[in-house]
Amino acid sequence: MAKILFINPVVREEDVPRHIPYGIALLAAIAMKKGHLVQVYDANAHRLPIETIIEVCQADDWDAVCIGGLTTTYNYIKKACKLIKESAPNAQLIAGGGFLTSMPHEIFEWIPEIDVGCIGESFETFPEVLAKIDNKDFNYADVLGVIHRDLTGKSFLTNVRPNIKDLDTLPWPAWELFPLDIYFANSANLFSEESFTSKRRMDINGSFGCGLTCKYCWHLGTTGDMLVEENEHGDNDVVFTYGRNIRYHSADYIVSMVKHLHDKYDIDFAAFIDENLMTMDVASKGTWLKDLCNKWIEAGLQPTCRQKGIPHDENCKGVHWNGTSHAGLHRPETLKLMFEAGCTHLVYGLESFDPTVLRNLGKGSNARKNKQSIATCLASGIKPIPNIIIGFPEESFESVRNTIEALVELGITAKPHFATAYPGSEWYYAYKDSIMEQYDNDLEAYIMDLGDASKITATISHEFSPMQLLGLQQIVYLKDLRLLDLSEKHWAPVQHELSPMIQPKLSFNLKTVKEAGPLAS
Amino acid sequence: MSDLLKGNFTTKKQVSAPSETANEDSLETKFKKAALNSIGGSMVYVERTDLTWDGEE
Ligand code: SF4
Repeated sequence: MAKILFINPVVREEDVPRHIPYGIALLAAIAMKKGHLVQVYDANAHRLPIETIIEVCQADDWDAVCIGGLTTTYNYIKKACKLIKESAPNAQLIAGGGFLTSMPHEIFEWIPEIDVGCIGESFETFPEVLAKIDNKDFNYADVLGVIHRDLTGKSFLTNVRPNIKDLDTLPWPAWELFPLDIYFANSANLFSEESFTSKRRMDINGSFGCGLTCKYCWHLGTTGDMLVEENEHGDNDVVFTYGRNIRYHSADYIVSMVKHLHDKYDIDFAAFIDENLMTMDVASKGTWLKDLCNKWIEAGLQPTCRQKGIPHDENCKGVHWNGTSHAGLHRPETLKLMFEAGCTHLVYGLESFDPTVLRNLGKGSNARKNKQSIATCLASGIKPIPNIIIGFPEESFESVRNTIEALVELGITAKPHFATAYPGSEWYYAYKDSIMEQYDNDLEAYIMDLGDASKITATISHEFSPMQLLGLQQIVYLKDLRLLDLSEKHWAPVQHELSPMIQPKLSFNLKTVKEAGPLAS
Repeated sequence: MSDLLKGNFTTKKQVSAPSETANEDSLETKFKKAALNSIGGSMVYVERTDLTWDGEE
């Protein structure tokens, strides 16, 4: 059986480690189930100098070293791959995750040390790659869903791997391989009183996908939104669509997993990292969340404060939870049941309160629904956490004014994120040329600069420059309409004389049609 | 006992976190983080390691 080392890269260096990597933990569990010998080095949790990887790679004769993450982990992964190849030259270096799936050929060019990469959903691809390595067969051309190289180093993408049909066939993640105490020490966050006092929080993923098509979002190739087709050079390349294979775990699977985490690790909080709980609920015709809440309560996971109808305090027992919602898709009766079962807060990607921005965004919401959602959610007892963005392609003084006026009306204080075109998203393909221009044609420099959208990287606003967006962010944060009016008075007369900063284009890699990738039968 | 690697078998060599630096920022790093987080008004932070000017024009 193969000896496998997983390395979890450092995520958000400026913050403490908060999330046990769900995907890596799941793949580690799958590998162990297949009988492989597995070790995990969690660089994100330990935060040691990157050279520690050398020692880790020399701890055994690894057959495979695996690394992966989102695009924001690219910097660390690039440096790590160099050290891995130098210190474990005989091991196959396997990569996976969003950073690779969004731009496989570019990543293979920039990180020549990677031998093989799993593209999109890897629950079946990864064990197939491991089986090959176990047999010392390093020709991956017949494995679906991988990128690999020929002897010259040129990269090839095989055909798309069908998504698995039944998520409940997946094992539970191998949490025991991670330094849980480090994550537990960072359990608390500032979203609600219950999460603020949480001592042992863990993440749960209940579903894959979301039926909506926000232009800044992408689904890591795990939701049927990815195809593989020949590009203009005759090479296979990834193509993203509005297609969806919506899948969710059964309420029984989720509740028994949380019960296990409560019994074994004494967790007091479960954070759902699903893309959008409400679109899953819609896909289940309004049954999924109700079922989940009822079974949560039946399993004895309901927090005592909710059971007794008393304020939460340190004596509360049970498991509180949070998730993601949608302004137009939540229902008061479902929210009420969610509150009873222990839901503390829901993240709403409201983004803006401007009709034009919202209409173009693909979110399926509007300013009225956005406003109502706050009151409806508050009325249920659950805290809404609205996300706000500025710097949309069509952002204008008027759209910013609409957002500020709504924030004033609703009593929301938000320091908005900046609209960011992450690789894989519709915005990325539409604005790739403009992004390249802003980074002196060095696409890798852009990827290295990407963080969590709290800073400006490449601007995609047609009208506003980075200087203006920085000012507008502060004005939205202060909700200062006087400063906005003054800025508009000064700038608006000249604004239309300036050529647009940014131009959208059509791209091979994006098809705005509902054509889903294959689903396993 | 290896404390940096966790898995389902025992590795040939043990890897332990260096005891002094594990999970611990130096005082200088801690100070820098705290200072950068409170920048504003008269609060500034001067990078001590970046200045190369030696005072001679
Ligand atoms: S609603 Fe959320 S998950 Fe769905 S497409 Fe929009 S941003 Fe993505």
